[in-house]
Amino acid sequence: MANIEGRATAITVITPIKRGGPLVLWLVFWAGRNIKRTLEKLEKLSFIHFARWAVIKQFPDEQGGERLNHPYLLFESNFNGAWEQYIDAFSEVVAFRMKAIWGTSFGFPGPLPVEPFKAYIRHNEFVANHYFSAYPGATTTEIVSAERVEGALEELRGSAGLDAEAFRAAYAAFLTKVQGDL
Amino acid sequence: MNESRNTCGQACALTVLAPIRERRESALTHRLSTLEPGLASPLANVTGTHFARWVVIGDVVYEGTSQRRPDHLKAGRLLFTSNFDGPLAPYLEQLRTGLGEVADEVWGHCAGYPGSADARAFAAYMRSHQVESSLFFAAYGGRTAEEVKQSLATRRQVIEFAVRSQQLAPAELQAQFRETFGA
Repeated sequence: MANIEGRATAITVITPIKRGGPLVLWLVFWAGRNIKRTLEKLEKLSFIHFARWAVIKQFPDEQGGERLNHPYLLFESNFNGAWEQYIDAFSEVVAFRMKAIWGTSFGFPGPLPVEPFKAYIRHNEFVANHYFSAYPGATTTEIVSAERVEGALEELRGSAGLDAEAFRAAYAAFLTKVQGDL
Repeated sequence: MNESRNTCGQACALTVLAPIRERRESALTHRLSTLEPGLASPLANVTGTHFARWVVIGDVVYEGTSQRRPDHLKAGRLLFTSNFDGPLAPYLEQLRTGLGEVADEVWGHCAGYPGSADARAFAAYMRSHQVESSLFFAAYGGRTAEEVKQSLATRRQVIEFAVRSQQLAPAELQAQFRETFGA
């Protein structure tokens, strides 16, 4: 299945937006871009690598763009783990935000209960024909951990010139510091 | 296009929707299905790419009676999204040169595609079919794809070292550390 590449999964969802929806989305996305707290919850969903929303007012073509009866909302996400868990977590952890975003789309049943919501996503999802990840074996958590390990290792390198006993103590302190990241 | 909306840290989002030429959808779908998967993907040659995909959008989805007026696209669209190391201009050039013939074999099924021989025309086509992100999230937007791969390798190296150095005396531990991590 092209939606899965190693441990990474792709989701691509396109939904028609109701009248008045673009204004609400403008506000919600403005808050997302300008109020730091809004995206912190997404960081807490520690399995999302990258995600985007885009409002498609017209579908690009050679005649200046094809405008349909409704604008459309595109959601693209790259995450590690299973589709079901992703949707479960999304509907529980960011329920309010989801409602604010997809509440502007036709047919959105609300984030909870989760089964109708999953059916809605499935109905509007497009399966990728080709999906690529530069590091398919890595989870988001591992990547963030690896950055911390690298930083701590750099500090430890500075202790490599100490006498052997002092180095061992520094190494032990290093391991204690990064043990949660290994 | 407000490129800042496609940016999160140094990471950038590219969203391209290109109209598929008449009666070309199945040939395009076939070509995409025969691209090598995994790290043999042609996208692996496009430096700076973290995640990318091609998705054939035959038509938009109808939500039933609540929607009132159904919509239909005159032409299907080929969606290309990439999460990459910005900025956009050098990345578009990476895309052109990194994909090589594959770019033409894929986007060649799309209306108005000028081919990849002319760098300026290729970039102009991508830009004119680009959709701006409303909100872009990157969990580690400060890290390039190469940096991510490097730090993952370092972490693996640290894990291996921690396992094999458990019983070492201080002097030996220090010597092996220097040897392994070049300190």
